[in-house]
Amino acid sequence: MTAENISVISLRNLLLVTVPPDPDDETISALQQKILESMARHDARGLVLDISTVQTLDSFFARTVMETVQMVALMGGRTVLAGMRADVAVTATQLGLSIGATQTALDVDRAFDLLQGEIQGGRTA
Amino acid sequence: MSIALADEIRIDSESDIVVARKLVRDTATSLGFGLTDVTRIVTAASELTRNIYIYAGSGIMRCRPVASDARRGVELVFEDKGPGIADISKAMTPGYTTSRGMGMGLPGSKRLMDEMDLKSAVGQGTTVVVRKWLHK
Repeated sequence: MTAENISVISLRNLLLVTVPPDPDDETISALQQKILESMARHDARGLVLDISTVQTLDSFFARTVMETVQMVALMGGRTVLAGMRADVAVTATQLGLSIGATQTALDVDRAFDLLQGEIQGGRTA
Repeated sequence: MSIALADEIRIDSESDIVVARKLVRDTATSLGFGLTDVTRIVTAASELTRNIYIYAGSGIMRCRPVASDARRGVELVFEDKGPGIADISKAMTPGYTTSRGMGMGLPGSKRLMDEMDLKSAVGQGTTVVVRKWLHK
């Protein structure tokens, strides 16, 4: 698994990033870098982080994800974590991980609905 | 406990953590653990091998099936000759860390597994043994 395998798709004003199933630490750090660069390049308003294939969410991975959410927020973007598997959710909670106020969705489709609703709502408000 | 050959992996780099995870996943799956238990065991292995890499620089992980009375399970041993842990009770406290980590590796792994034995001597190294039993 290398950083080149990470796909960042820009759709309208949102980014869709699919996290690989079993990334090493280097790949996780590269993923963060790529997301931040893409936020700026595409002038994105939000990020959908698809973690539906992620098998192991350990504390290093979780910390990097939470940092990324924070960095994207500083750049004016909202993040939705999409598709966490049930076994991963159980394990992450028992391990003691906390996602703070990060938004989540059952799948990518719902994550897009959530972000588009928020961003459009924000514009008219 | 019965004697079974252990698979051994040297932890010298970050990428060895991925290799260790794969071995543990394959072993736990072949022993018949369900998906959630496999994920728990693999996640604990990821935390404990990362501890070796972060604190000691290098070490080994051994993985083997175990049996005791009517129970079967998996045992993971994490061994390093690093700086050791000065205060084990502090190290077991969630949130306590001497690195940039989140301080949940040891206490979190203990919750994910059924048993944890920790031996450490300052200047000599640390050995962590964890076990998970199959529930039938």
